[in-house]
Amino acid sequence: MPRDYSNHKSLGLPLNTMVKEARILMVGAGGIGCELLKNLVLTGFGEIHIVDLDTIDLSNLNRQFLFRHEHIKKSKALVAKEAAHQFNPKVKLEAHHANIKDSEFNVDWFKGFTMVFNALDNLEARRHVNKMCLAADVPLIESGTTGFNGQVQVIKKGVTACYDCSVKETPKTFPVCTIRSTPSQPIHCIVWGKSYLLSEIFGTSEDESKEMDHSEDSENAMEIEKLRQESQALKKIKEAMGTSEFPQLLFDKVYKDDIVRLRSMEDMWKTRRPPEALDYATVLKTAEESALVKEDVIKDGQRIWNLEENLLVFKDSLERLSARLQAEKEKAAATADSAEPVITFDKDDEDTLDFVAASSNLRSLIFGIECKSRFDIKQMAGNIIPAIATTNAIVAGLCVLESFKVLKGEYLNTKEIFLSPFAPERLLNPDRMRRPNPDCPVCSVAQTRVLVDMTRATLNDLVEDFLRMELGYGEEFSVSNEAGLLYDPDETDNLSKKLSELGIEGDSFLTVIDDNDTNPRVNLVLNIQESKSPLDDIPIKALDLRPKVDLDADFSLSPIPRRPSKPKDEVEPVDITNGNGNGHDNSTPTATNGNGTVVENKTSSLKRQAVENLGGPEKRAKNAAKASADDDVILVDDDGSILID
Amino acid sequence: MTEVVADQTPPILKGPSDKEKKYDRQLRLWGGQGQQALENAHILLVNSGSGVVGIETLKNLVLPGIGKFTILDTETVSETDLGVNFFLDEDCLGQPRAEACTALLRELNPDVEGEGHLLEKDGLSGYLQDHHLYTLILFSYPIDPTSLSRIEEYGKKHRIPLVSMHSSGFYSYFRIILPGSFPIVDTHPDSTATTDLRLLTPWPELSQFAAGLTKDIDSLDAHAHGHIPYIAILLHYLKIWKDENGSFPSTYKEKTLFREKVSSAMRTDTPEGGEENFEEAIAAVLKTVSVPALPGSVKEVFDYEPAEIDADSNFWIIAKAVKAFYAQHNQLPLPGSVPDMKAQSTTYVQLQNIYKAKARQDVAEVIKMVRTHPHGKEIDAGEVETFCKNAAFIKLIRGPDASPQSLGEIARKEFRSDEEAAAWGGPLSLFPIYLALRATSHESSMMVADILSEVDASIPDVTSNEHLKKVVEEVARAQGGELHNISSLTGGMTSQEIIKIITKQYIPIDNTCVFDGITSRAQIFRT
Repeated sequence: MPRDYSNHKSLGLPLNTMVKEARILMVGAGGIGCELLKNLVLTGFGEIHIVDLDTIDLSNLNRQFLFRHEHIKKSKALVAKEAAHQFNPKVKLEAHHANIKDSEFNVDWFKGFTMVFNALDNLEARRHVNKMCLAADVPLIESGTTGFNGQVQVIKKGVTACYDCSVKETPKTFPVCTIRSTPSQPIHCIVWGKSYLLSEIFGTSEDESKEMDHSEDSENAMEIEKLRQESQALKKIKEAMGTSEFPQLLFDKVYKDDIVRLRSMEDMWKTRRPPEALDYATVLKTAEESALVKEDVIKDGQRIWNLEENLLVFKDSLERLSARLQAEKEKAAATADSAEPVITFDKDDEDTLDFVAASSNLRSLIFGIECKSRFDIKQMAGNIIPAIATTNAIVAGLCVLESFKVLKGEYLNTKEIFLSPFAPERLLNPDRMRRPNPDCPVCSVAQTRVLVDMTRATLNDLVEDFLRMELGYGEEFSVSNEAGLLYDPDETDNLSKKLSELGIEGDSFLTVIDDNDTNPRVNLVLNIQESKSPLDDIPIKALDLRPKVDLDADFSLSPIPRRPSKPKDEVEPVDITNGNGNGHDNSTPTATNGNGTVVENKTSSLKRQAVENLGGPEKRAKNAAKASADDDVILVDDDGSILID
Repeated sequence: MTEVVADQTPPILKGPSDKEKKYDRQLRLWGGQGQQALENAHILLVNSGSGVVGIETLKNLVLPGIGKFTILDTETVSETDLGVNFFLDEDCLGQPRAEACTALLRELNPDVEGEGHLLEKDGLSGYLQDHHLYTLILFSYPIDPTSLSRIEEYGKKHRIPLVSMHSSGFYSYFRIILPGSFPIVDTHPDSTATTDLRLLTPWPELSQFAAGLTKDIDSLDAHAHGHIPYIAILLHYLKIWKDENGSFPSTYKEKTLFREKVSSAMRTDTPEGGEENFEEAIAAVLKTVSVPALPGSVKEVFDYEPAEIDADSNFWIIAKAVKAFYAQHNQLPLPGSVPDMKAQSTTYVQLQNIYKAKARQDVAEVIKMVRTHPHGKEIDAGEVETFCKNAAFIKLIRGPDASPQSLGEIARKEFRSDEEAAAWGGPLSLFPIYLALRATSHESSMMVADILSEVDASIPDVTSNEHLKKVVEEVARAQGGELHNISSLTGGMTSQEIIKIITKQYIPIDNTCVFDGITSRAQIFRT
């Protein structure tokens, strides 16, 4: 009997043929990715491309079964490809050890696939692939897991809801004063240890901005200025790194002098317990008297360390990190490498983890906050999401089942499936697919590619000739890209500049937002295609829009549709497929950061979201997320926790 | 002693072990104890049929690190196997399937021991003699009737959980047969469900502390008033309510009125126009102002008479003591945790300590009762503490022999509800899938008529059902062939439940899960 006997028989000839002819893109080769690749290969899919920028870590091996101990530090995409190839040499496999956000993976490249599977672990990359698949009009199967929970969703432009049709929770940030002056929870001290102290001493100190909100107002302006001076003083102490005095200098600076200064601000402690400074020599003396063995303490990461134990780990990890940085610096000097070596937090780098654990606990002790074990701190600082083989197997299997419907074009039959591991009557909770949200800033936009002669096209060509003349836009609208606003009626300085001078490149996106009060158009997303040779007539041409219509005859005949008028009458009815109408609730994963903080949904205006989702303002771009698939996450992946990577 | 440390050469600094690192992501779910249970487990897989679902299940157990597995299989590797089984390759052709799969599965995790043996005809009894061998037996259909009854007898005799699986075409099911009674202490309830504040039965320390905080509640300054923990707020107004009405608010209407009373006591002349702690108090009224009733699942444990062989187990000794505690106090031991709330840290810590002290006191009382049992001396105090903490959520799962329901009864019930579902276009029952697959338990390739007559033989009067007929046609069409994807998915669900059973954490399904890969639905039946 031939190898695909079962597939042929159960799938039937037409579907089995479609499977064999399909070109698949799988983004992420982590937990779900390994399972998915195995299932795709054994279901007989003809061609599979794998993209993942991550390398294999020891903590992957409890579920990412295509990887072995000897593969640690190697590319996930490449190793997964090799492993899967052995089991079905007939399948065409291609691996890219790269970031899916790289420009080589442009809209045209996405258009080459029959469908895309997301097997990712982070919101950024998910949003990116969602956007690209919408732009390329390629169906996307989105999935994620957290512990025992998981979900699968089919995304097809204009037919089903996209990833951003529902508001996703954004990562928690903390006001800088909470972290630096008035912590009240363990997480505040952990963020301090990781994003302030570690990065000030061993990093570039710019990293800290990610999870700290530095916005100033009249109330905290003075305190923020003080904090700046404190950081400056810390930089001085940094120069003592490598000397035997360094641990004491640093300790007494951050745990004594800074605390004494903080305590002197009496207003701050009227309603709070004032912090109690610590003295290095005193604590060290007690530690010596209690005959603690450093190695025993460091081995015991499940137990909560006491003051003296934390000091020992603080001192020891500081010395380890200092030695490492010194060595790096010497190496850099020898090779005339201009980049300043840094050490950044990595949950799997024990030196940094020990340092963050001990330094955050010491701070907790000062502020009368509960201490945490290193095991717990690792989870809180590293944004660790539990991940197991079983859940990945279930979710990957469900993805492939949905892919059959996608191949047959049966989008209305697709399901949004949630695992419900603790519901006694069923383990799965399939909901009917959702329709696109007409207010979605990502998919309820008009999209078109525009061919641009980058050698001469100016912003004015785009604004006046293309948008106003060609598409019929009125006076009130704005043009922006991920770097920010480029044009609006009050921002006309850029008009005479060439697009290339404004940093606009081929394969990038521009968003046009119609601000007309009456009957505005939906947001328009332009995908810039650089023309290979200079264009003869006009420098900007639409590629996907129908040819110019007589705009004067009827102004509403713009090729860009208008926003639906509100209130909408097309509200999706609550799904009753399962007779309970709340399929989502069963599987709503809980925050895994263990600190009980509540995450607020930040619902911003339509306009603002549009810009953010396009890849976002400065901050977002700087944090450029990894398109890796380490730990397969769902809806609330970044929920309530702090950012890592 | 840093000096001493400095002298030691060279300092070998060891953080978490490699094992802890490898299993980090799962330890955060089932902890060290759960992991230890997995590592002590030995799973037997009696593999038959086309043999994929069993291997896929085993894969998900080898990865998280079970101690050992044994595979028994009568087959040798064929070309068809290579198309569906990921743990076989070209080089395995012609080899015994059990050995070939064992070799590739073992590569997944060097910490796991594994052996695979070619099963001779009637050779199963040789492997089912010593009762200490296996933690759980896993087998797949179709299987020959003799082997099936061997496994069932063995499981019953040695009280070993059995898990059977059947995957064919787009359909599958798995079924768990637990021996006698299967109690679970660590059920991992939802953290919001575990709040037990005892607001209607406060003990003296709590009452006094709360009263101290609310003594001059109306004259407190804005800050103090806005930082009274909501527990104290509710206790204060409950006392007033009782003084006025003679009893605590008990009906929904009374509680709503009480909530309004608390709400009206909130100061609104604040910059925010309200007080967070009062908001918390208002939100907590309906959930916390009630005497917790004894949960049905706990009552089941209290009422259950364990078999003689079980009665001296730690679980039942502690359960008996907790039952006595309940009889005496009319409430379970206090779990002792306090949810996050708006309060000054010092006050909050004091409050936590009051609840913790009471919880410890309750545990001590239960331990005292446990120690009176002849075998209670050796029971670890920590185990009693865990039991008390989870007392409201303990769960007993009974084997299929308890309160049996015939397949005919289930079928008739399911078909009746299908008629209603048809009226509004709801999904149909998956029970026909179980009936059709069950009819092919011993033979993979059967004709429609044969399957129907097999169903009819065990459950009369159901074969006229149109839905069942369609399902039977689909089963006949698959001819027992497995789709890798369906078997992988089924293996995922099965191994998930097996992990719950081995770790004795979380509540496993009771007891049959049927999966339909055409509609991506699963349904659970007790069969």
